[in-house]
Amino acid sequence: MTALELVCPAGTPAALKAAVSSGADAVYLGFRDATNARNFPGLNFSRDELQQGIDHAHDNGCKIFLAINTFPTAGDSTAWHQAVDDGASLGVDAVILADIGMLDYASRKHPDLRRHLSVQASASNPEAIRFYQDAFDVKRVVLPRVLSVAEIAALNKEIDVETEVFVFGGLCVMAEGRCALSSYATGQSPNTNGVCSPACAVRYDEDENGRMVSKLGDFTINAFEADEAAGYPTLCKGRFVANGEASYLFEDPVSLNAASILPDLAKAGVTGLKIEGRQRGKAYIAKVVTSFRRAVDSMDDGAVVETDLTEITEGQRKTAGAYQKTWR
Amino acid sequence: MNTTLVMGPVLFNWTPEDWRDFHFRMADEADVDVVCVGEVVCSKRAPFFEPYMADVIERLLAADKQVILSTLALIMNKREMKSVRDTAAIDEDNIIVEANDVSAVALLGGRPHAVGPFVNVYNEGTLAYLARNGARSVCLPVELGMDALGALAKDSPAELEVMVFGRLPLAISARCYHARAHGLHKDGCQYVCIEDADGMEVETLDGEPFLAINGVQTLSHAYTDLSAAVPDLLDLGIRRLRLSPHASVDMVAVSETYRAVIDGKTAPDEASERLSALAGDATFCNGYINNQTGYTFS
Amino acid sequence: MFPTHGKTPPLSPVLLAGLLARPLSPRLLQPALDAIFAILNRSHPGLFERLSCLNETVFLIDPIDLPLVFILDADPEHPRLTAAREDADRAVATIRGPLLTLIDLLEGRIDGDAMFFSRTLSIEGDTEAVVALRNAVDDAGIDVKRDLLDFLGPFAMPARHAFGLGERLYSRLNDDLEFLKDCALAPQSRIPKAPEA
Repeated sequence: MTALELVCPAGTPAALKAAVSSGADAVYLGFRDATNARNFPGLNFSRDELQQGIDHAHDNGCKIFLAINTFPTAGDSTAWHQAVDDGASLGVDAVILADIGMLDYASRKHPDLRRHLSVQASASNPEAIRFYQDAFDVKRVVLPRVLSVAEIAALNKEIDVETEVFVFGGLCVMAEGRCALSSYATGQSPNTNGVCSPACAVRYDEDENGRMVSKLGDFTINAFEADEAAGYPTLCKGRFVANGEASYLFEDPVSLNAASILPDLAKAGVTGLKIEGRQRGKAYIAKVVTSFRRAVDSMDDGAVVETDLTEITEGQRKTAGAYQKTWR
Repeated sequence: MNTTLVMGPVLFNWTPEDWRDFHFRMADEADVDVVCVGEVVCSKRAPFFEPYMADVIERLLAADKQVILSTLALIMNKREMKSVRDTAAIDEDNIIVEANDVSAVALLGGRPHAVGPFVNVYNEGTLAYLARNGARSVCLPVELGMDALGALAKDSPAELEVMVFGRLPLAISARCYHARAHGLHKDGCQYVCIEDADGMEVETLDGEPFLAINGVQTLSHAYTDLSAAVPDLLDLGIRRLRLSPHASVDMVAVSETYRAVIDGKTAPDEASERLSALAGDATFCNGYINNQTGYTFS
Repeated sequence: MFPTHGKTPPLSPVLLAGLLARPLSPRLLQPALDAIFAILNRSHPGLFERLSCLNETVFLIDPIDLPLVFILDADPEHPRLTAAREDADRAVATIRGPLLTLIDLLEGRIDGDAMFFSRTLSIEGDTEAVVALRNAVDDAGIDVKRDLLDFLGPFAMPARHAFGLGERLYSRLNDDLEFLKDCALAPQSRIPKAPEA
């Protein structure tokens, strides 16, 4: 069994430094534009910042993965191609791509640049993964968060490519890269704009009963009593009414925390453990990375370490998500 | 050049007899050129209507319809993988297989096939690759606007298809929301999705219609109606238009309405009115094609 | 939960503002704010560059435990922090909460998402602008105490004269900031502190 690699997010140079000093094996990040799936205001890296980030990471034995994981706009792929070209020339350790056209471009233009398949490509089965491997020489696949641990183990037996799975953070309940809910309500989606439920479409209003109502575009996503913990109105984490009953129809406001099943994931043949949260602050990064570094290191000694990350968890609740089959 | 009207696959869980009769009626009465057959959303449903599959295909072929076998959009286990492998292995002159996942794109590589709307084709690079791989037609993702469609249609190496009618498929998941809403898990779902032939309606907390649930799939509450955009689509060179089947709407009448718009016999606004009458209480949307927020209608 | 401040700091309302703002009108506070803000800008060049994506950059920062508000114009070219008694009409967004939580936010100890998970802070107006501001300050590595002492170092004498504060007050301010910092860091004392940018 090879050592598990801890792959950590960074939305700013400060977050990158926090990840590196907290024990990340690799940091993934994106440029400050629509080429990556966390295209949030004030977030991400300029070319200069990336260069400094690469230097800092490499000096500390940490890799840099550049996420270019949105789908280029028809008729205007320039920014995406430029992102790959710049990543290659700046010396990133891998690019994380989702779009077939982009994989085709990168494999022809930069054959020596290591390619990872983004979770946004939603490659959930051996035939799809083999396709990306055969066609574009993809070295690692980030698995969509739809698979159970048993399915991941079965999958790894059928493929000959590294796999990476999410172990902590925000949880997409839909198959990644195959969800247009956000653009239906706001006009912007992960695939096209690199944002889900964008902040520019978010409003918090107080209603006549003193409840805080969160809206996304023209739609009410949730309402909170005065003493109730509030959530960011991510569409699939909202409360809706079906058959006359209001509920968290898609998912409760919970975060993924797979810390307790790290040994199972290792046994299932996984290579990379990915932490979600490029949009979150350096405090979050430092805390989560430190916690998982300790969990991974102590796993090597045969121990399971409980992570206490409740306070930075959305809704202050955690789930092992689709890794448990009953989640479905 | 002729315009091809495509009846997409039935996305919902209908009783096997309703499912069979719908396809028979498409064969006998609908003014469509192509009919897609097969389960796209949930592999658990397929065994129920499979006994009627051969009859349906035969009837459609006898009526001179092109038959497309649609495959699953989300494949997560060996059973689902096997079903896609089996379908992809079908090699009949008069049958085309439609890939709705990259696995099927791989399995169908090197021979003519169709690519459905669940494979992400957002730009020329991907389109060119898939065409080289054997895609003859590509039904584009629902969230593309007219600008993107125009860029893709320019010198397109494959026939482009756009979904013009029906609830928009917006997302697919490992989790079954129909089961969840009934307090069940997917593995013991009791096939509750059969209760909602056009999807389970979802409203916001303040009662605004928003989405529709179809098992593991989430659709728009509003029905897309792109009849007003048909002349522009034809101008761009997009010659395949897809209608998505609904139980509470007379799909034969819908196909006649779109055919009339294509032929220039009905003005687009008149077609919109007719569709509105056909669809009863349904609301409509066409925001995406106008480069607007998806749910809007103008 | 947010970092919780289990102990009530010894002076209440605590902190620079508790010490400085109460006896002063916003107008008298302004020269000090200008000096602090100048230092902030000098210590963190490009602090507001990340906000260049915004058209409107005026934020209202409302510490609910203080008798005044701060108006932050985060214009990357001409940033300015102003103290005022009342709300500004032209703010693109308002961030309201206890001063300690606002300082946590400024120093990057709580993150953008967590901000929404609790009701300690309330956001009004343009959420995107608030997210952008949060991302900008998170990257900057602001340290209020260090930045303030920088200010009170070279400018100590004139500043103290201007405020009419004596040595005792200066030392209490220092103690208070130290205590505040301990309080704020307590929940995270088990993890290594993120390096300054």
